[in-house]
Parts: sequence; C-alpha cells; structure tokens
Amino acid sequence: MFFAGLDIGSTITKIVIKTEDEIWTSVIRPTGAEHRRLAHKLMEEALQKANLTFGQLDYIIATGYGRINVPFADRQVTEISCHMRGINWFFPGVKTIIDIGGQDCKGIKVNNGKLVNFVMNDKCAAGTGRFLEVISEALGVKVEEIGDISLRSTNPAKISSLCTVFAEQEALLRLSEGVSIEDILAGIHRGIATRIYSMVERINIEKEVALTGGGVKNVGLRKALEERIGFPAVVPPEPLITGALGAALFAQEYVGRIDKKELETRKKERRLEAVTFFGEGPTRGQNG
Amino acid sequence: MNSKETLYSAGLDIGSALSKAVIMKNRTVLSSSVRPTEGNFSHAANTVLNDALEKAGLSHSDLASIGACGLGASFLAYPFTKITEISCHSRGVNYFFPSVRTVIEVGNQASRVINVTKEGKVADCIVSDRCAAGSSRILQIIAKVLKVDLKDMGPLSLKSTNPVRFTTGCAVFAETEAISRVAEGMRKEDIIAGLHQALAARISAMAQRIKLKEECAITGGGAKDIGLVRAVEGKIEKKLLVSDDPFITGAIGAALIAVEK
Repeated sequence: MFFAGLDIGSTITKIVIKTEDEIWTSVIRPTGAEHRRLAHKLMEEALQKANLTFGQLDYIIATGYGRINVPFADRQVTEISCHMRGINWFFPGVKTIIDIGGQDCKGIKVNNGKLVNFVMNDKCAAGTGRFLEVISEALGVKVEEIGDISLRSTNPAKISSLCTVFAEQEALLRLSEGVSIEDILAGIHRGIATRIYSMVERINIEKEVALTGGGVKNVGLRKALEERIGFPAVVPPEPLITGALGAALFAQEYVGRIDKKELETRKKERRLEAVTFFGEGPTRGQNG
Repeated sequence: MNSKETLYSAGLDIGSALSKAVIMKNRTVLSSSVRPTEGNFSHAANTVLNDALEKAGLSHSDLASIGACGLGASFLAYPFTKITEISCHSRGVNYFFPSVRTVIEVGNQASRVINVTKEGKVADCIVSDRCAAGSSRILQIIAKVLKVDLKDMGPLSLKSTNPVRFTTGCAVFAETEAISRVAEGMRKEDIIAGLHQALAARISAMAQRIKLKEECAITGGGAKDIGLVRAVEGKIEKKLLVSDDPFITGAIGAALIAVEK
C-alpha cells in the first residue's frame, strides 16, 4: 500500500509517499502563491518520480499552513501533530521538538508519542527562516551558505537587535565598521538561537531534543541552538520532510481504521484535478 | 548666562536614518540642515554641522556650545555635550509648544511617549525600540514596496475609503502582506491607510500605559506623515500639535540644553 503526505508550508511544499515500512519517494519545491494548482502539479511530479499512478495511493493527508487548499486530500491534520509523528518515527525517545519553518517557529513537547504542549511564533519574523533570508540578502550571501560561513568565525559579533529589520541594519553597520562577514553571521545565528531558545524554554526543554524544519539545514544555526540548549540535539536526515512524513504516517494509521470496501469506494471517487481560477482557461488535469 | 550677550550654539540629532543640525542665536533658530545618515555616522554628523554653519554664515569658532543626541552623536569630530534623545525631544517640543505636556515621538529606530514638565524636562517616558513595526521604519519599508514617495504616503492615506486590515505586527511580514494585497488589486491608498491604522494602534497602546496629558504633540519623522498623525489622533482621541519642522525638534532641544550646561 502507498500513503501520501503533503505539507504545504509558507515557503516550501513537501510531499512524501511511503509504503508500510519505508519512505518511497519525496519531493520538495518552493510554495507559490497558488497552493491548489501547486499541490496538483507537485503530486503529479511525485507520482512520476515514484512510478505510481494516482489510483495506487491508498490515503492522502495534507498538513501545513496551506493544507485546506489540497482538494484531493482525504483528510487534513495540523502540522504540530505531523511534525511530532514524523520525528517520532525517526527518534522515538524525543521529548522536545524545535521546528524552524520559513515563516514561523514552534516548540513541541512530546511524551510517549503524545502531544503534551506547544508554543509557536508566527507573529514576528525573528526566529524564523525569513530572518535568515533577509540577513543573507542584505549581506549578499546565499541563504544556503550562511551556516557554513558562520562556522569560520573566530569572534562572533554582538548583534543586539531581535527585530529582523533592525538586525539587518545592525549587521550592515558592523560590516561598515570592518567586522568580518563570518563574525557577523555567527553573531546573527547566536541572536536567533537565543530568541528560539527563550520561546521554547517556556514549555521546558527536555532531553532528547530534535531539531527540524528548513532552518535546521543551516549548520550555523544548529550549532548555535545546541550551544544554547547545552547538549547535542538529533536532526532527521532530511529535516524539510518531517511534516509530510508525519502526514503520510497518519494516512497509514487512518487506513487501518477503514474497511477495505469503503477504502476502494473512496479511492474511486477521488480525483487529481487541476483547479482552475476565475478568468483563466482550464489547465489539463489527470484522472486517477 | 548674560541675556544681553549674543550666544551661538549648535544642536545635532544624528539618527539611524537622518542627521539633523541646527544653529541657534540665543533662542532663535538661524539655520538648519537635514541629510540621510546612510550608515556613515561620522561623515553625516560632521557634514550636517558644517552645512548648517555655512547657511548661518558662521564658523565653528563662533559656537559657544554644541549639544548632540542620537545613535551616531559620538562620531562628531568636535567636543560636544551628549544629551539623551528623550531630553532633547522634550525640550525641542517645549520650544515650539510650551503648553504641551505629552510628546509622542515616532522615529526611525524607536517610538517614544514622553510626559514633560512646563520647563520641557522629562517627567515620565515609555520607549518602544525592539521592533520595526512600532517605528516609522515600517512606513519606509511599505513605501518602497508600493513604489510611493515617503512624502506622498500621508496625502494618499487620507484618500482611502476602505483601509486594508493588516493581520501582522511584524514589519517583515507586513511587507509580504502589502505585496499580496497589491497582487490582489487593492488600492495603494487603502494599503497605506491600513498600515497607518496598524502603526497608530501600536503607538496608542504604548500611550495608554502612560497617562496622556491634555496638550499632546507628535514629533520625529513620523510626524511628517499626515496620514499617521490623523490615525494616531483617531486612536488616542486627542488633537496632536505638529511643529513646522518635526525633523529638527531633537536638534533644537540639544542646542538649548547644551547652552545651559
């Protein structure tokens, strides 16, 4: 059987297709403004990559901030639950999850695979991937590279502003004072790590800690966070797909609760169709 | 100080966005100069002072005192008296409006609500400098997104019939929101008015924490934006006095205080 999870994030969309035991395929693409059409397009891409047809998918769950815009999903589950489930699959002993997304940041407390508590910041860009994007753009460095660059720092600069806009200005000021880009970036990572740490600490950070989300692909931020927490954290092999994987795991669980006949009927009724918008011609769809 | 004596003094306010200087003859402003700081405090501070001196037909040796405030004040090459921005703005507003007891300052880096005495001294103060969404910086960010000149923001805002509601309190996210609203075909007027409402709500929330006095004035770069001024007036339900040149209020205060020291 095949189970699909779609995680439509504010910045990146991820799809995971899994079998009962393993991840079969995954797709990671930037989220555009039009979630629905993107979900459809990406699903086609994932199916092609997996060499499957839409009809072979037994259950589909959508999660993430754009989850309501996946018309072909059987069910929606919150990203908090999906992250928890995805991490639990890799690291069953984890008690605290820190997810650094493109436009938000979450702290999740787990006990025996059950959600205990969570905190979230989606009101302020500081502490999210967006902060890193703004700073890297201001400094003229690729966001994928800032982590590695920051690791070469010998004397991290002091960046006192938490606000993205003010931190950007502070970084440029340091640059004009002759501080090296390595030291500025190390200072920036320390600042953002402190911000995330103090938010998650409100729900009491307990070992084992897992870091996930796009922000963790930045080794500089990961190191700064581990320094702040005081011990090493675990990170899944591909931190971007944790939510989509969790959604696929939920899909697997839900299938177990439905009888075979109903599942077949459901699958027959499900359509992978391109959604059209007002004022434009239909785009080609593919039936399952 | 002998009141018959002619005394020249300079006041500087070297802010994160703008550098301002005034030259005063006793209590009269002789000249002023305003220029963008552009990240180079030392250059901006010295240039703006020399420029103001030149306009007044004076040289540095004519000055009895120099007072300076702002983030970049310490970069000035001449000896001067360092004064806090809060004191300078209070005193500067007092110079224009002696009856004012509450000053709302909306700057590029911070917003402040200050209660002042009748001498223009600080009685109480609240500062918000942690977040660009609470300062006039957000106006510049959105002006850039909308490709609108900063000085046109106020008049445009007043033309709005249906202000857009901003759902975020973050300048970075507000930028994204503004871009989305433009893409959805919303009018610039309505987006700007919505932004003014959001910023005014923040300033007013801050003002609620300090007791607003009868006579209130608004100063700093934000006071140049009539849309923001009207929005703040609406939220605090009070009329705000605005000086002819809100940019130089702090510099005037700096000059006046330095003379006394």
